[in-house]
Amino acid sequence: MACPFQMGLQDATSPIMEELLHFHDHTLMIVFLISSLVLYIISTMLTTKLTHTSTMDAQEVETVWTILPAIILILIALPSLRILYMMDEINNPSLTVKTMGHQWYWSYEYTDYEDLNFDSYMIPTQELKPGELRLLEVDNRVVLPVEMTIRMLISSEDVLHSWAVPSLGLKTDAIPGRLNQTTLMAMRPGLYYGQCSEICGSNHSFMPIVLELVPLSYFEEWSASML
Amino acid sequence: MTSSALTKPQMRGLLAKRLRFHIVGAFAVSLGVAAFYKFAVAEQRKKAYADFYRNYDSMKDFEEMKKAGIFQSAK
Repeated sequence: MACPFQMGLQDATSPIMEELLHFHDHTLMIVFLISSLVLYIISTMLTTKLTHTSTMDAQEVETVWTILPAIILILIALPSLRILYMMDEINNPSLTVKTMGHQWYWSYEYTDYEDLNFDSYMIPTQELKPGELRLLEVDNRVVLPVEMTIRMLISSEDVLHSWAVPSLGLKTDAIPGRLNQTTLMAMRPGLYYGQCSEICGSNHSFMPIVLELVPLSYFEEWSASML
Repeated sequence: MTSSALTKPQMRGLLAKRLRFHIVGAFAVSLGVAAFYKFAVAEQRKKAYADFYRNYDSMKDFEEMKKAGIFQSAK
């Protein structure tokens, strides 16, 4: 989950999110490079009385400030495309879970073996127990096995929603009439929080997602107990 | 009274000299900022993740969380 005054991205729980973190660092480094260059140049320009009164053309510097930005853009595009293709690699998921967005809750279906369905509503603030997180806790969490590749199929029963879990680098739109797929792989057990990420009405901010990643044996016990 | 002639001050090319000095300085400063960010933040982050996962025991981590009572599916 996010912490108060947090400036950066959440800690990565999946390999793809780790790659995204490093890519973000790389791109932010380039942003700081360009911003500090421009800031320095602006302050240099503004702190002199010397002028050049007959500037006509500047072919050399025009070439430099065309080629250099092109190189910088290539340096950003190459790692970006690498991660984009990495997200689409074939990975043979062991489990498929379907999630449907509703106004204003998520419902989950585990139908690989038996028929397990449940709804996941936010716990209202007045009903939170001490230590629980405001606007993030739900009554029925999405329990999943850790260190296994899981296929998530995401859609909606009414309006647009978006199923997002930042710590795993996931955000997939839930579109009525369309089935979107994403792949989930958590490297550590624990609780991972997300919130609906597409405006969907008055309670858009109040339909969170909580993933509970546990070892496979505990997942199997839980799914048997939920039937 | 004799005095040695003063050296003629530079009278032309002042802006060009200033620009040359500061453009080199600007690139040096911005590359320095980028290098600082890369080593102080980016490489540190990669090292932190590598160190965390080197001896990470997910079952031990899970048992500690289970004992803390945070899971719905594992009491």
